[in-house]
Amino acid sequence: MCDFPGKPIAWMDHELPESEAADLERHVAACAECRERLAAYECASNAFNAYCEATFAAEKRRKLPRWLPAAGVAAGIAAAAAIAALLMLPRQHVAQVPPRVPPADEAPRMAARIEPPPAAEAARPAHSAAAPIMRSQRQYASAGPARSHDSQRATAAEAPAQASQVRNISPFPAEPPIRIAIPADAMFPPGAVPPGMSFTAELTISADGSAERLGLRPRLAGFERRANQP
Amino acid sequence: MSGESVPLALPLARLATDTCEATTLYRELRKPLLRYLVCLGLTADEAQDVVQDTFVGLHQHLAGGGSQENIRSWLFRVAHNAACDRQNSYQRRHSAPLDAQVEASMVDEATPEQAVLEKEKFHRLRTAVRLLTDPERECLLLRAGGLRYREIAEILGMATSTVGDTVERAIKKLTEKCNV
Repeated sequence: MCDFPGKPIAWMDHELPESEAADLERHVAACAECRERLAAYECASNAFNAYCEATFAAEKRRKLPRWLPAAGVAAGIAAAAAIAALLMLPRQHVAQVPPRVPPADEAPRMAARIEPPPAAEAARPAHSAAAPIMRSQRQYASAGPARSHDSQRATAAEAPAQASQVRNISPFPAEPPIRIAIPADAMFPPGAVPPGMSFTAELTISADGSAERLGLRPRLAGFERRANQP
Repeated sequence: MSGESVPLALPLARLATDTCEATTLYRELRKPLLRYLVCLGLTADEAQDVVQDTFVGLHQHLAGGGSQENIRSWLFRVAHNAACDRQNSYQRRHSAPLDAQVEASMVDEATPEQAVLEKEKFHRLRTAVRLLTDPERECLLLRAGGLRYREIAEILGMATSTVGDTVERAIKKLTEKCNV
């Protein structure tokens, strides 16, 4: 085994004085064993440098997951805020519509028979899941033209009123219109309503599907009839 | 007139030069400093803090008229001392979880045979690195950062010839362990 007393690694690092470096270079040029040893030193040195680089890279990568959960929480909060804003929007919109309370003298006469069709009856429980919004939903339906003549009163009492107008305030898809049959003699005394006059019914349905409030808005049926018939 | 402006202009010019030099040094040495500190056992966050403190110290050093000789050694020495202070209060962090990641990045698994060979090689290297003494590991780390023996001697507070001997001994140890 060659036991040359030089410093091969210092020579590799260009740290040897020129005289010593020249001696070592001459020896290495002639000694295969020293060349092999130098190659092994260089290999170990490179492996150590690669190990350092990999350690540094691994530590940098390990740092990433620390902020990822925070980013996830932030994204979750942002998403929740966006959903909350969307849900609040229709509620605010509905709140702008002043609630219509029927006059006190009308209340005792509200013996209206409310007959929702089976389709609406089936659809209602599904919508009642979105309780806060659907609860405040109002539907406007017009009661049929009221007849003041005694001879026609019985027919008017039997004929179901047509829901000619349904206005849905909520941005969600509208429910099918609800047909309401109101006996005319239960609501108005004879001669109280002039011919051509009809009423728009404003109905509030509670979450359990029952009628919460019913109000009537008078309007002239003649205008609408002309507008609807070309 | 010119006699009055010179005393004012000189500190300003020096400040501008110092700031420019500090910026250049930051760009050039930030990564080697971070790598050295992480390899010493600091976490990435701790290393960031130390490097930041070190450059704040450099700014104060230059603003206070400190020597501009061997600034690179000065930076590494300050960072090294700060790391040693932190390591006195914190345990060394390099443990099994980080080793697994280092191994995954170093082992090339092109074929199963190659993966087995490389893993074995990596385990030998890791054992060899852990068997090095602190001065040996520090000398090799600074050498890997491109520092000269004279600079390493300044940073670690030892003679240049001692650095040469330490590096020689450390590389021979690694070679022996890795080539078993």
